[in-house]
Amino acid sequence: MNLDLSREKLIEMLRKMIEIRFFEEKVFELYAQNLVPGTIHLYAGEEAVAVGVCSNLRKDDYITSTHRGHGHCIAKGADLKRTMAEILGKKSGYCKGKGGSMHIADFSIGMLGATAVVGAGLPIAVGAGLSAKLRKTDQVVACFFGEGASNQGTFHESINMAATWKLPIVFVCENNLYAMGTRQSKVMAIKNIADRAAAYGIPGVVADGNDVLAVYDAARSALRRARNAEGPTLIECKTYRHKGHSRVDAAKYRPKEEVEQWLNKDPIRRLKERLLQENVLASVEIQEIEKEISAEIEEAFKFALESPFPTPEEALEDVYA
Amino acid sequence: MRKITYRDALREALREEMRRDPAVFLLGEDIGRDWGGAFKVTDGLAQEFGDERVRDTPISESAIIGTGVGAAITGMRPIAEIMFGDLTALAMDQIANQAAKICYMFGGQARCPLVIRTPFGAGVNIASHHSQSLEAWFMHVPGLHVAVPSTPYDAKGLLKTAIRGNNPVFFCEHKLLYPIQGEIPEEEYTVPFGVADVKKEGEDVTIVATLYMVHKALKAAQELEKESVSAEVVDPRTLTPLDKQTIIRSIRKTGRLVIVSEDCRGAGVSAEIAAVAAEEALDYLDAPIKRVAEPDTPIPFSPTLEQFVIPSEKAIMKAVKDVV
Amino acid sequence: MVSKVVMPRLSLTMKEGTVGKWYKKEGQSVEKGEPLVEVVSEKATYDLEAPASGILRKIVVSQGSDVPVDTILAFVGASDEPVPETEKAATTQQSEEVEERLLASPAAKRLAREHRIDLSLVKGTGPQGRIGEEDVERFAKNVSATMPKIKETIPLSGLRKTSAERLSMSFRTAPHSTIMMDVDISNVKTLHEKLKVSYTTIIVKATAKALSEHSIINSTLQDNEIKIYENINIGIATNTESGLVVPVLRNANEKSLAEIDKTIIELSDKAHNGRLAREDVTGGTFTITNLGMFDVDCFTPIINPPEAAILGVGKAVDKPVVLNGRIEVRPLITLSLSYDHRIVDGAPAAKFLQKVKKYLEKPETLET
Repeated sequence: MNLDLSREKLIEMLRKMIEIRFFEEKVFELYAQNLVPGTIHLYAGEEAVAVGVCSNLRKDDYITSTHRGHGHCIAKGADLKRTMAEILGKKSGYCKGKGGSMHIADFSIGMLGATAVVGAGLPIAVGAGLSAKLRKTDQVVACFFGEGASNQGTFHESINMAATWKLPIVFVCENNLYAMGTRQSKVMAIKNIADRAAAYGIPGVVADGNDVLAVYDAARSALRRARNAEGPTLIECKTYRHKGHSRVDAAKYRPKEEVEQWLNKDPIRRLKERLLQENVLASVEIQEIEKEISAEIEEAFKFALESPFPTPEEALEDVYA
Repeated sequence: MRKITYRDALREALREEMRRDPAVFLLGEDIGRDWGGAFKVTDGLAQEFGDERVRDTPISESAIIGTGVGAAITGMRPIAEIMFGDLTALAMDQIANQAAKICYMFGGQARCPLVIRTPFGAGVNIASHHSQSLEAWFMHVPGLHVAVPSTPYDAKGLLKTAIRGNNPVFFCEHKLLYPIQGEIPEEEYTVPFGVADVKKEGEDVTIVATLYMVHKALKAAQELEKESVSAEVVDPRTLTPLDKQTIIRSIRKTGRLVIVSEDCRGAGVSAEIAAVAAEEALDYLDAPIKRVAEPDTPIPFSPTLEQFVIPSEKAIMKAVKDVV
Repeated sequence: MVSKVVMPRLSLTMKEGTVGKWYKKEGQSVEKGEPLVEVVSEKATYDLEAPASGILRKIVVSQGSDVPVDTILAFVGASDEPVPETEKAATTQQSEEVEERLLASPAAKRLAREHRIDLSLVKGTGPQGRIGEEDVERFAKNVSATMPKIKETIPLSGLRKTSAERLSMSFRTAPHSTIMMDVDISNVKTLHEKLKVSYTTIIVKATAKALSEHSIINSTLQDNEIKIYENINIGIATNTESGLVVPVLRNANEKSLAEIDKTIIELSDKAHNGRLAREDVTGGTFTITNLGMFDVDCFTPIINPPEAAILGVGKAVDKPVVLNGRIEVRPLITLSLSYDHRIVDGAPAAKFLQKVKKYLEKPETLET
C-alpha cells in the first residue's frame, strides 16, 4: 500500500489514536470512581476507523456520530477538556452538561452532534450533504454508524436518497460484530454490510478496521468521489470493541478466543510496529508522545473535575433558540 | 386587501420566502413539477425555483425529516412536507428526538430551523390513516413550535414566521381549509407566534377553537346570537407557544369556557387548554369547562360514521347551552 | 348524562322536606326552568324547577314522602341516556353520611369571599342547585337592603389601635377580679380645703403609702416572674382628646402632698397638650383611674399590663351612714380594685384596699 503519507501525517494519526485510547481508559477509570453519571460506551479498540476516516477530512467537513462517539469527536479535533467536562456533566462541557457522553457536539469543527437513537444519524448526514450541495461548497460528510444500525429503516432510506441525489457522503459502517449483546449473524443473513451498497447503486468497500492505513486509503478514495460529486460510498470497517457494550457490560456473550484474537490485532500496536519497522519513529519518541498525551488527558480531567456543575435552573434554558 | 384561498396563501408565503432567502428550499413527496403537491400547495414552485430547491423525495418520511434536520443544522432553511399528518408517525424519531432536541441537548450550539408542513383533518372519507388530527402529539414535545392557522390570513402570516424563525416548527394545515377564501393585505405581513386572535367578540361564553373548528364555532356563534347568547370565539393560532393571556382575559369576561378541537378528546388539545384555564382562571369560571372533540375512536370510513365523530356546530351549541 | 333532581335546601336549618305534587309524569318532556314538583319544608312550599331540558325519565320519590335534603327525587335527560339505579333506603343513608357539600362555581366562591358572604345562605339556581355568580350578586343586593347603613368607618390605628391591643392582651392574660369598697372622704375633704391639694393628690399619696406596706401589689408579672419594685410609680389614667394616656408619677411614696399635687398638674397639662415624653409614660408600677366625674359609682377597670392591679375611683356622693347607732350624712366614694389573680389572691388584695381606705379616712397620717 503506497499511500504517500508524510511522516507528520503518520505521527499525527498515531497521536490521535493514542489520544483516543488514553482518553477512553481515563473515562473508564473515572466511571469506576463514580465520577461519571449515567453510562459510557467506549471506543477503545476501534480507533483506526475514526482516525483513518477523519484524517482525510477538513475542518469544515461534517461528521455525524453515535452513542459510541468519543473516538469520532476526538479524531475530528474536539477539545479534550470540553469533552471530558461534558462527560462529567459539568457546565464547561461542550453542551453545558445538557448532553453527556452520548451527545457530544462541536459545530465549530463540523461535528454535528452524536445521536443516541441507533440509525438516526444517517438521514441527518443526508441533510448535511444536501446542504453542501445546495450551497455549492465542496464539503463532504462522514457518517459513522454500527452494523446494528444498518438494519434500521433509516439506513435504507438514507443511502437510497443519498445515492439518488449523488450527495457527498461517506457512510462508514463500524462492524464490531456485536450490537449490544447481539451477534451480527443472529440478525442478518449476510456477512458483509458493504454488499448492501449494490442495492442502492453505490460502491461498497470492506476495509480492515484495525489497520488505520487501510481505513485511510478506503476513506480517501470514497471522499475523492464525494468531493467530485460522484455520489456516496459505503465503507464497512471490520473491527472490535475491547470492552463490553457499555460500562456495566462484562461481555460474556463473546467467546474468549475471539476476544483474544482481536486484542492481538490492536490497531495502535500495529501502527506502532509498522512505524518502528519503517524507521519513521524511534521507540523513545513513541514513549515521549505517550507521556505528552497522558499529561494532556490529566489536564483535561483536572479541568473537568474542577469545573462547576450547571445550576439547576439552567435545565430550563436552550429549549428554544 | 384581496381574497385568496388558504392553499394559495400558503403558496404565496413559500414563494415570497424562497425569493427572499436562498437558504429556503422544499422537500417532500410529489411536491415538485410533476404533481405540485398532493393538495397543490407547492404547485408551480418547481417551475420558478427549479428541481433542486423544490425537491421530490422517495417515500421515506423518516429520511425526509432527517434530511431536513441535517440541512437545517448546517445553514439551510428547509421546509419538509409530509403528505398526510397521519404519516408523521413514521418520522417521529427525527421530529421529536432529533429536530426538537438539538438546540437543547447540544447546549445551544446549534439551531434547527426546520418547518414541517402537513394536513390534518377528517371529512373526505379517506378513513383511519388519512384523517387524524394529531396536534396534541407535537404540543407535547418541548423544543417544537406548533402552528394551527385557520384562515388564509393566518396561514400566510404564520408560515412566514415559521420559516424565518430559528426553531423547528410543526405547521398543521387542514384538508378542508385549503379551498376556503379569506382576505389578505397587499403588502407583506407576518403573524407572530404566541398571539391568539379573537375572531368574534362576545359576553356570555368563551369558545376556544382551532383549525377547521374555528369556522364551525363561528357559525355556531351566529346561531347562538339569535337565541341571545353572545359567544366570544378565540383562535389560539399557535398551540406552542400558547397565548394563555388572551384566553384567560376572555374567561374573566365571560365566566364560561367551551373548547372545540377536532382531535380525540382524551389527552387532546382541549385537555391542555382546559388545564390551563383551571389552573390560572379558576376563580372566574362560573360553570364547568366543556370540551367538544372527536370521541376516542379512529376515523371511520362510511359517511354516516365519519360525520358522527367529527364535532358539529350542533354539538358546539349544545355545549354552550349547557353552561350558560 | 342524565341530570338529577334533588330535594333542595330551602332554608338554613332545613334538614328534610316533603315531596308534594309532581307536575309532570314519567316520560313527559320538560324544559329547563319549568316547575317540575312541589316540595314542602317546615317553613315554605316551593315549586322545584327542572334542572335541564329533556324527558322526565324516572321519578324516584313519590308524592307524600319525607326525604332528607339532597335526596335524588328524579332524573331528567335524553331518552337514550342510561338512568342510574337508586335504592331509596341507600339514598336516605347516603344523605346522612355525606357531609353537606355546597355546590358553588369558583366565580361564585370568589365573589362570596370578596363580599364576606356566607355561601350557605345563598340560594343556587344553577343545575343541581349550584350557586352561580349571579346568585351571589342577587344575594348581596338583598342583604345590603336589610343591613344597617354605615355612617362612618374609622380604621383602627395609632393610639386607639395600640390601646386596643394592650387592653385585649391584659384582659386575655390576667384573670381579673374586682373588689369594691366604700370610703368616707369627709376628712379628705377637710384636708383638701386646708392644704389646697386635689382629691387625686390625696388618693395618690394614700395609695402609695398603702403600696409601701403591701409591696406584693406594687409588682409586675412577666416571663413567669413576679417582680416587686422598690420604686412606687403611680400612673394616673388621663382621658385626652386623642385618647387615654397614663402619665407616671414617680416615687409617689417619697413625695409630699404639695409635690404630688404640683407634679399631677404638670403631667395633666402635658397630657392635654400632647406633650408627654416617652419617659413620662413608662416605668409605672400601679395605676389609678377615676370615672367619678362622669357619675360612675363603681366599675371594673382593666389592669394596665403588666402591673398587678389598678384602682378605680368613683363619684363622691353624700349618703346616709350609720355611726354609733345614729344615721348621719357622709360623703362616700367607692373604690374598685381590679387585681391580677395570678399574682395576688382576694385576701391580700382586700387588705391592701383596707389600708387605702384607712389612709383616706384618716388622712392626717399623710401629711408628712
